[in-house]
Amino acid sequence: MIKMEEVSLLLIVPLITAVLCWQIKNHRIGEKLQIIGAVLNVFIGLSIARNVFFDAPVTGWHHFIYIDALSAFNVVLIVIIGFVASLYSVGYMRHEVAERIISEEKVRHYYLWFHLFIGTMLAVSVVNNIGLLWVGIELTTLVSALLVAFYRKGTSLEAAWKYLIMGSVGIAFALLGIIFLYLSGVDLFGESAESLNWTVLNRAAGQLNPQWTLIAFIFVLVGFGTKAGLAPMHFWLPDAHSQAPSPVSAVLSGVLLNTALYGIFRIYTIVNAALDGKAAPYLIFFGLFSIAITVTFMLVQHDVKRMLAYSSVEHMGIITLGVGIGGALGLYGAVLHMFNHSMAKSLLFFAAGNINQKYHSKRMERISGVLKTMPVTGSIFLIAAFAITGTPPLSIFVSEFTIMTAGFQSGHLVAIVLFLLFIVLIFSGMTYYVVRMAFGEAPAKLEKKEIDRWSTAALFIPLLAVVIFGLYVPPFFQEIIKQVAFVLQGGKS
Amino acid sequence: MEQWIAMLLLVSAIWLLQIRKISDSVPILAFQSFILALTAGAMWYQTKLSHLLIAALLTLIVKAIIIPAILHYTIKKIDVHRRVERVTSKYTSLLISIILSVAGFYVTSRLHLPSTKFGAPYLPVSITLVFLGTFIMIDHKKALMQGIGLITIENGLFLVAQSISYGMPMMVELGIFFDMLVTVVIIGILSLRIHSTFESLNIVNMRSLKG
Repeated sequence: MIKMEEVSLLLIVPLITAVLCWQIKNHRIGEKLQIIGAVLNVFIGLSIARNVFFDAPVTGWHHFIYIDALSAFNVVLIVIIGFVASLYSVGYMRHEVAERIISEEKVRHYYLWFHLFIGTMLAVSVVNNIGLLWVGIELTTLVSALLVAFYRKGTSLEAAWKYLIMGSVGIAFALLGIIFLYLSGVDLFGESAESLNWTVLNRAAGQLNPQWTLIAFIFVLVGFGTKAGLAPMHFWLPDAHSQAPSPVSAVLSGVLLNTALYGIFRIYTIVNAALDGKAAPYLIFFGLFSIAITVTFMLVQHDVKRMLAYSSVEHMGIITLGVGIGGALGLYGAVLHMFNHSMAKSLLFFAAGNINQKYHSKRMERISGVLKTMPVTGSIFLIAAFAITGTPPLSIFVSEFTIMTAGFQSGHLVAIVLFLLFIVLIFSGMTYYVVRMAFGEAPAKLEKKEIDRWSTAALFIPLLAVVIFGLYVPPFFQEIIKQVAFVLQGGKS
Repeated sequence: MEQWIAMLLLVSAIWLLQIRKISDSVPILAFQSFILALTAGAMWYQTKLSHLLIAALLTLIVKAIIIPAILHYTIKKIDVHRRVERVTSKYTSLLISIILSVAGFYVTSRLHLPSTKFGAPYLPVSITLVFLGTFIMIDHKKALMQGIGLITIENGLFLVAQSISYGMPMMVELGIFFDMLVTVVIIGILSLRIHSTFESLNIVNMRSLKG
């Protein structure tokens, strides 16, 4: 039973942290406290994950909670990125207060919403009931919309409104899909809460009504796909990700998108089993389309955070493509890519946040010579940018290569050739902008100094993952990813 | 009897496309939610399924009282007499909403959706509500009205679930009510901020983010 207590702690700690940070007037204490909360959650999350990976799935509270390898994987990503972002927030917010952009009181509100946001994502990952998963994903939208609107400027309000409305409408369609899914199993299990439990549906996937499961899946794919930023439902994403404070952008791109994909994949697993693999082409199509859309937008960007946001659309596409290709190898690549993208993209947003604060601008033509003004941030930014475009020997290359191999092996020749073409174009576009920012002459009035030691220190944790996983994926981690891939296959090999 | 209740729901949604002042939308929305509570109540009376009674009461309290109250408060803070602005003219929007209603009924008849004995009469209207709610969001230019459209969509989805299987499991239903409530609070907060920043609720002003 110790396991269930850990799960409740996992959900309660962010809640308590949020409320404490909001109530404690002394912000020096508040900001340390929120780090302690985040560290605590890392330990709890890892402990739960260890149980799941090396023992068995955790289930409890009358089957309302169910954590298998896929959930645990998402939990681990959330607690780690959440921790790094809370570390980074300290330096970022101190700088914003020092520049008089925001008041100290608003920083307390920031920590309140930030930790609630982390909590809602964790809740999404541990519930068994698909209806409650929907409720959780809607909550993540609501909480993070306030974080996007944090600066209260015209543009950030515009972004937050667009995000709230598009997210909610999209998710309303997902609810319709979930109602249909409920319908497809209601003859089998009767009208009880159990019949929306993932475990129950997955076990009986073969007997579900195929017509209803397909309609359900299309609605869910479009609905949660809006939230995951799959094209053509991605229009809110670059706005929201570029207008939010940088640590929030990192969490939005790094783990919120994964959490939305998590929702899609949970339902995909059931549906694909019910339909005998006929759901996969939809994923391949949306995946490729998202990558293709990115090419055009990537080449005309002026705003560094918007460029990174579009790159997230691309990578969500790659993950979706990987899962659509499927097979043990394709799923392995997709899951590894989820991890690699989370690390590399959050690292990029952290570094971009430092750069923006230094140059007081997000416009790329006004940024040059970052390597000279901020040697640490600058070089990390450069490494991360090369990683995200898939340059060997960095981590993203490994997972992209795996997905590519899986595609060739399973005969998706056209899809993979297009995929390669697109990522080469994206590589050249992004590298052009990044190199221009990193090198060149620095503006004379900027002195050579990092923003804050907190926001520099935070960069090293994801950096480690980006570099190490490019050279070598540790065997225990390979084992974990295989387990997650196994869940995505419906638990059947 | 059920047909009449269903028609009232349809009328309330079309009405939302014909109003002159933003503040008019609140009583209409409250009326719509009240009728929605009535449908759930009627289904409870016919089936004696206790969770339908809970759903009816919750709809009454949350959707017909609390949510309109929050919206009313928000609109009062902005300006009660503000007029709505639409993309299409009054008559065009009426025409489109009639076309959408016909489409909703047609689609439902073609889909062969399974439905419950007492919920079946509401099914076409529930799908139509989703269509009309989407149209309200597209047609109105005022930010707050998009929120009203969203609530109409949610009302439609609630009715879909009711008529297909007497509602979702209780836990899920509760969660959805909670989400709805938080959504409206956040729509209120953001509307106030948008209004104080742009001096208007017109979303045409919010076009600086592109590409």
